[in-house]
Amino acid sequence: MLRFFEYVGKPFVLLIEAFGKVILLLVSTISWMVRPPYRIHEIFKQMEFVGVNSLPVVIITGAFTGMVLAIQTYYGFKMFGGESLVGATVALSMTRELGPAITALMVTGRVGSAMAAEIGTMRVTEQIDALYTMSVNPVQYLIMPRVIASIMMLPVLTIVSDFIGIVGGYFVGVRLLNINSGIFVARIIEFVALSDIVNGLIKSAVFGLILSLVGCYKGFGTFGGAAGVGRATTQSVVISSVSILISDYFLTAVMF
Amino acid sequence: MKIELLNVCKSFKGQVVLDNLNLTVEPNKITVIIGKSGGGKSVLLKHVIGLIRPDSGSVFIGDDEISALNDKKLNEIRKNFGMLFQDAALFDSMTVGDNIAFPIREHTRFSKAEIDVIVKEKLRQVGLKRVTQKMPSELSGGMRKRVGLARALALDPKIILFDEPTTGLDPIMCDAIDRLIVKTQRHTNATCLVISHDIDSTFKIAHKVAMLYDGKIIEYGSPDKIKWSENPVVKNFIAGKSISKH
Amino acid sequence: MSKLSVEAKVGVFVVIGVVLLCYMSMKVGKLNFSNNKGYAIEVLFDSATGLARDVTVEKAGVEIGRVQDISLRDGKALVVLRIKQAIKVKKDAKAVIRTRGILGDKYVEIIAGSASAPDIMGGGRLTRTMPVTDMDTLLNVLGEVANDIKLLTTVMSNVLGGEEGEAAVRAIVSNLRGIVTTLNQSIERNSSDIDRMIDNLAGFSDTLRSIGDDNQGDIKEIITSVRRVSGSMESLVADLEEITEKINTGQGSIGRLINDDSTIDNLNETLAALKEIAQSISQGEGTLGRLIAEDQTIDSLNTTLASLDEITTKINSGEGTLGRLVNEDETVESLNTTLTQLNNYLEKQDTFRTYLDYRGEYLFNSEALKSYLSLRIQPREDKYYLLQIIDDPEGKESVTDTYRDINGTVVQEHEVKVEYDVLKFSAQVAKRYYNLAIRGGLLESTGGFGFDYYFLDDKLLMSLEAFDFSLDRNPHLKAKIDYTPFSHLYLTTGYDNFVNEESRSFFIGGGINFSDEDVKTLFTSIPLPY
Repeated sequence: MLRFFEYVGKPFVLLIEAFGKVILLLVSTISWMVRPPYRIHEIFKQMEFVGVNSLPVVIITGAFTGMVLAIQTYYGFKMFGGESLVGATVALSMTRELGPAITALMVTGRVGSAMAAEIGTMRVTEQIDALYTMSVNPVQYLIMPRVIASIMMLPVLTIVSDFIGIVGGYFVGVRLLNINSGIFVARIIEFVALSDIVNGLIKSAVFGLILSLVGCYKGFGTFGGAAGVGRATTQSVVISSVSILISDYFLTAVMF
Repeated sequence: MKIELLNVCKSFKGQVVLDNLNLTVEPNKITVIIGKSGGGKSVLLKHVIGLIRPDSGSVFIGDDEISALNDKKLNEIRKNFGMLFQDAALFDSMTVGDNIAFPIREHTRFSKAEIDVIVKEKLRQVGLKRVTQKMPSELSGGMRKRVGLARALALDPKIILFDEPTTGLDPIMCDAIDRLIVKTQRHTNATCLVISHDIDSTFKIAHKVAMLYDGKIIEYGSPDKIKWSENPVVKNFIAGKSISKH
Repeated sequence: MSKLSVEAKVGVFVVIGVVLLCYMSMKVGKLNFSNNKGYAIEVLFDSATGLARDVTVEKAGVEIGRVQDISLRDGKALVVLRIKQAIKVKKDAKAVIRTRGILGDKYVEIIAGSASAPDIMGGGRLTRTMPVTDMDTLLNVLGEVANDIKLLTTVMSNVLGGEEGEAAVRAIVSNLRGIVTTLNQSIERNSSDIDRMIDNLAGFSDTLRSIGDDNQGDIKEIITSVRRVSGSMESLVADLEEITEKINTGQGSIGRLINDDSTIDNLNETLAALKEIAQSISQGEGTLGRLIAEDQTIDSLNTTLASLDEITTKINSGEGTLGRLVNEDETVESLNTTLTQLNNYLEKQDTFRTYLDYRGEYLFNSEALKSYLSLRIQPREDKYYLLQIIDDPEGKESVTDTYRDINGTVVQEHEVKVEYDVLKFSAQVAKRYYNLAIRGGLLESTGGFGFDYYFLDDKLLMSLEAFDFSLDRNPHLKAKIDYTPFSHLYLTTGYDNFVNEESRSFFIGGGINFSDEDVKTLFTSIPLPY
């Protein structure tokens, strides 16, 4: 009987333990943020990696998400003559939900995995120990810039994705499906509130925190050579994606 | 600077690695710790630099008990250290020049030009030229070790630690690295602590040798003393015979 | 591009993002950071079905405000509208809940009142509304009509249907047949008489024609006058018709008189009384009788009326103070502005709040209680000033470096003095944007700042504070969460000074707070001995 409980309970204990470790890492990251040196250059390098270099993939996914949304909602709304609402639907979906979520998932795949792999490799090749021996705290040198850059860049990527998605929806709705362009835009303006956009951006900042923190945590705890790096990378993508979607639900429930 | 370990105990997940270990490393000499692979040599080294804290016992660097210091003070002490890792542990996102300049940039306020001069000088000390712009992945194993040493020397440390400096190198390169260690020690007069399982190079470079076995230092002394030791474990290790447990 | 520095690339990228955000938020165009702009007016609707907070208020199709609040008052829906400051709404304007689009979104339409009516003030109420004509009421009316038709057809079928009805119809038909037969017979019987009648008629017409030929002129004249008379008759009838129409619909005093039975009764009574009086007067009885009887009285009455007439004329033409008051628009306008200003001032007073708060935090590290007494002065909802007195068990730390010259060498003495039993002070300014408040100023007698984030209708508050910045040690950081399950009482927990290893400490605690309003109600509800 006891073994049964142990068998069932152990994964939960491990999960809660891992969660606690991530929170501790967050606390130490925050505490390193406010201590000099501030590593401005490192932050900018990570901002380039997380933000600028993710731009193409975010533009492409954003555009096609908006376009497919336009097509799908068009057939639904056509059934009761509400085609004019396609624009508003695309805009609301993009700003409130799909912009932040899709951007976060793409960046997780591109950046979160890279963080886990890079830091993981540094761990197994003793580069992190080397940092310690040189009196440089790896949390401050490696993790803090990545977390800050992700928190700051995700909203910027998301606003680009929102905009491109709406433009894509406009292209499909107005050019291909012959919805009146004036009505299309007017409905967007009528239904979308500033708070929709802003709350979406707040969500994306949280997603940025999650994906960078998980990526760094997994990379930092890597053991077992090259295979360990692979394992850490995969786990970081899976855990980040799942956490982003779960936290998305709760954030949405709290904010909207 | 003197290094002293007193009654140090450390175990991982119930497995005892260091068992009441006592060792005093003499200042300004090369001390080599020998022992079989996986016998706790690296763990001992990490205790010396404060990467691992002992379960009990204490580690002294000079007059400071580093096993009892907080991170901030520990970082101050560590600025006296240089460490050469087994695979050099160069930052592979930086060029060779940036690798060597990294500790200087972190802990001093030298200008860019001054740092360039120091980097060139350190590379010259380890016998390398025209590699500053190369990435670590473009270098051979021996060159990486040399760059690693150059980085360890960057802040003119009082203590230099070497983690298996000759492992994975061909005999000629081994010899070159051994000479480099001796030369560096003479040049800087630093306290050098080397861990190795390479008997030949040990006798080439060591002023003092310590044998680690079963979590304890079972023999300590000059190379000659170790060579003629009566301890069967030491004897077998030097002769290169596998040791069967009693 | 590859020559661009990392910073420049990131900068360009962020600028693109910010531009897009600005563009989109301007397009979306509802940049109302504060909901408190404009003025509020109330409307009582019978039903506010489908109306929601923050839907638009329109006038002639142009947005002039938003619905701020909907609540129940005396079984009706009390809707508070927030109207833009620049838009004036007349007191007799009408509010209607209308439906837009196929999806049936509701909004409030304000139908302009008369130009002469005064503007409504903030906090005022629009009394005129129109019932909602939604699909439900329409269907109800249609249902009633259908019921009526059904009733009618039922009656008809009752009358005509069944054997009885059939027999009745048959009897009617056979009666008709009988009448026709009789008619035929009588015509046949009197055919000769009829022939004679026709002959006579022909003769008569011949005579007439001869008369006509002789007196053609006279006849023409007669016809003209007849036509004229009938014309005036027509207009007379039309007038009469109009009058009766008015009377019937109850317009005008006569109409009301006629349509109201009680009035007629009253009238009758009055007439009877008058009759009596008249009789008395004609007999010269009473004072009135005597007054009327004397010519002098009538003369003075006449002059009085004349001077009254003069006065009203003067007032009308704007002479005299009263006249100017009544006649000059300027006066009215200045009165209006004065009232508006007064109202604005009162409104501002209305948002002014003061809070008194005590909180205690039990610090696990020093095993002692840290107390805060705060006064929060809040002139506007999104801004406040915070004054605090803090009793800190950790004491107040002061660091002094002294240099002393001992035998030629300068010795630096680093002295850290901790004073216990010293109160600390905070004085902060805070500004709130949506759920985030940023504050800064003096925190625990050192410079600092903090962020507050509010959740769940302000019941949950997460705060991060940073203060006591100095070069040789880490700043004092404090993170806390306040939860207010009931009004006035809250619980708190957090991690104090978490970047300084020696003094970091978890804490739990609680607090109590009152606003000036609470204090007011408290005092008024305490029974005082007289």
